[in-house]
Amino acid sequence: MLGKKLEKILLKVQKPARYVGGEINSVVKNIDEINVRFAFCFPDVYEVGMSHLGMKILYSQLNEEHDVWCERVFAPWPDMEEQMRNNNIELYGLESGNSIKNFDFIGFTLQYELSFTNVLNMLELAGIPILSSDRKELNQIVVAGGPCVCNPEPMADFIDIFFIGEGEEVDLEVINLYKKCKKNNESREEFLLQASKIEGVYVPKFYDVDYNDDGTIKSFKAKNLDVPSKIKKRIMIDMNKSYFPKSFVVPSIGIVHDRAVAEIFRGCTRGCRFCQAGFIYRPNREKSIETINEQCKNLCESTGYDEISLSSLSSSDYSKLYDLLDKLKCWTENEMTSVSLPSLRVDGFSDELTSRLKSIRKGGLTFAPEAGTQRMRDVINKNVTEEELIKTCEFAFKGGWTSIKLYFMIGLPTETMDDVKGIVELGQKVVNTYYKDGNKTKGKSVNVTIGVSSFVPKPFTPFQWEPQDKIEVLKEKQKTMIDNLKSKKIKLNWHDAETSFLEAVFARGDRKLCKVLKLAQENGIKFDGWSDYFSFEKWMSIFEECGINPEFYANRRRNLEEILPWDHIDYGISKSFLEREYLLSCKNQTTPNCKEKCSNCGAACFKGGICFEKR
Amino acid sequence: MRNVRVKFTKDGKSRYISHLDLNRCMLRAVHKSKIPVWYTEGFNPHPFITFALPLSLGVRGKCEFMDMKIVEEISNDDIKYKLNECLPDGINIVNINEPIMKLSDICYADFNIRIYGNNIDTNKIFEELNELLNKKEIIVEKKTKSGIKNINFKEYINRYNVLTNDDYVNLDITLCAGNNSNVNPNLLLNLLIDTVKDDLYTDISRIKLYDKDMLEFE
Repeated sequence: MLGKKLEKILLKVQKPARYVGGEINSVVKNIDEINVRFAFCFPDVYEVGMSHLGMKILYSQLNEEHDVWCERVFAPWPDMEEQMRNNNIELYGLESGNSIKNFDFIGFTLQYELSFTNVLNMLELAGIPILSSDRKELNQIVVAGGPCVCNPEPMADFIDIFFIGEGEEVDLEVINLYKKCKKNNESREEFLLQASKIEGVYVPKFYDVDYNDDGTIKSFKAKNLDVPSKIKKRIMIDMNKSYFPKSFVVPSIGIVHDRAVAEIFRGCTRGCRFCQAGFIYRPNREKSIETINEQCKNLCESTGYDEISLSSLSSSDYSKLYDLLDKLKCWTENEMTSVSLPSLRVDGFSDELTSRLKSIRKGGLTFAPEAGTQRMRDVINKNVTEEELIKTCEFAFKGGWTSIKLYFMIGLPTETMDDVKGIVELGQKVVNTYYKDGNKTKGKSVNVTIGVSSFVPKPFTPFQWEPQDKIEVLKEKQKTMIDNLKSKKIKLNWHDAETSFLEAVFARGDRKLCKVLKLAQENGIKFDGWSDYFSFEKWMSIFEECGINPEFYANRRRNLEEILPWDHIDYGISKSFLEREYLLSCKNQTTPNCKEKCSNCGAACFKGGICFEKR
Repeated sequence: MRNVRVKFTKDGKSRYISHLDLNRCMLRAVHKSKIPVWYTEGFNPHPFITFALPLSLGVRGKCEFMDMKIVEEISNDDIKYKLNECLPDGINIVNINEPIMKLSDICYADFNIRIYGNNIDTNKIFEELNELLNKKEIIVEKKTKSGIKNINFKEYINRYNVLTNDDYVNLDITLCAGNNSNVNPNLLLNLLIDTVKDDLYTDISRIKLYDKDMLEFE
């Protein structure tokens, strides 16, 4: 039931259904039988958070425990936040409507750096002390997982426990430990200390950082001999045994990705040098056709979705893709259910594939060549050629597609203005391909959309030592593209250089940034990922007030010997491999993908996946 | 193939979803329930469903209607049971019947409206509302496809009754509804809010639909 107080404000805000719960398959439990209450918080708006597969997995998994109740919490949009603050309504779980203030666990998933301020704002809205050091009792344990925790340091003052790697097992182990500690009346400190010994758990308060005069790290040490000096990621090595939900909460309002999602594999074999996901999720592990088929069936059955998305980092790389599609076809056709493949590679699009994906909408196709020239693509190890792209486009045009989206990055290491011009030129070549004999659809014009983002160097990639281009340089490159644009058939879109800059600061930041984040929250900064709320000027004045130069993090070339803020986190990928890859990139040399040849990245330490399969 | 008319409620938490969202929820529920309904035959086949009269977001619907076509043998009770298993909190199937009237026959709708004051006595709201309703003309701004225009709300009122108690003012009102002439009770309530200068909370339910002869829609 919704409280009267809440009902009175709901009609004053946009999309009130974001804040009421009650969706199909949402889990409501009897509070008397609950031992542990877990608030799973996604630091963005409902429609974004509800599209996230990781949350669906952990939500279902936690709720399978009879005495644990996991509820969903999303960042209220600023109009709702204002109403909540004016009416003294604390941030609440959608399932119970109860304030999450006194929950045992408050869990966040950190998917992108620009959501960090929302994490702090959500804690504050819940009435939970923002600083870990201000939380004293054995409750309000703030935990975080997701890709951004591979460099947890900018959030170290706020989070009690980081889950490094895949959360499916480690979260339950920590919850069980918590139950035990609660029963034995142990202290928060005692619980955290014991938790820090579980593999994949990082408790930042047990570590000290010293800095050199130039601001780089002098040393990173455990305060206590009992805690591990390196924190190794957790991993589900057998994807067929890995937990996968039989049902999803089905939102009653439209969300970003509103369909059944089956994860077909984890990790990626490609090793594109800019791509963090391509390294931190290694090794590549596939689910079997039978597992995927079963999981898709269960989901469609329990949700009523008539669309399945086969998700992964590069879906056309699934080794038995055609067999899988044939297997799914056996029942999806009768049930009027369509199957879609996101993240298609330029070289993964073929006749055979489209004939199987009857339901590929003729709306638009998206490919990511990432760079405009072959040299640049070799530097980033994208391993896609211009001929492949043109061939794919030719094939698509012949098949009746008239709209193609191409994604690129600017600001890549060693990039010159020729590489930047190459992006627009490649777009032009795609347009020209359309008008070549036999490719054109009668009476229809072609649309090529070029989406350009600014490169953000990320931890655990070969480019982790590289500076990001300064904002002025990125803007100059954007201008060069506009100046070289000749065709009206090409539409150019780009991300703001300023948001990419902020992303770069926090992606490779250290603990000194905690105070910046705290001050940002106090100044009402939130929803940085949304251009309506992002204010670069506000951010710059906050950096200044804290005496911190953000360019130190974003635009500085790091020395290969430097202690990096995330060096104590171990994703199985060795630093020496990243260094080798980095040096190869400087020589425009590529590295074969895992299926062709092992490059000894270190991920074999997990004893499974592609590292141990026949090549 | 036979036509059925599904009577349902859109109340509780589901009153906060829009008409577009309701359409999506119903399509998904029908798909999930595996009731043998007729699917459209386009590129993206989906169950063919039609709604009687959209409901404003936030208004409780006590007697909403949806039509669909059944292509195989199944009892109405079975349809009701199966659909109810697949719907979110607040949407409940009341009954399934053979359609008697046409959807376009709808001419009037009954609303029950409870008006709660924030910093104002209910008696004051009661007086102001009565005064408002007793006027010869109640001019309100209505947003239409061609822009904002002034309409006389009074012309849309068929009948009404105002009562009051300690907690709230209760307004039962019958308004024009349907394709020819339709009005949102919020237009009147917003005017009342402006008049009393208080942040009133209004709880609106649409409770019945009628044809031109005031026969209950079925």
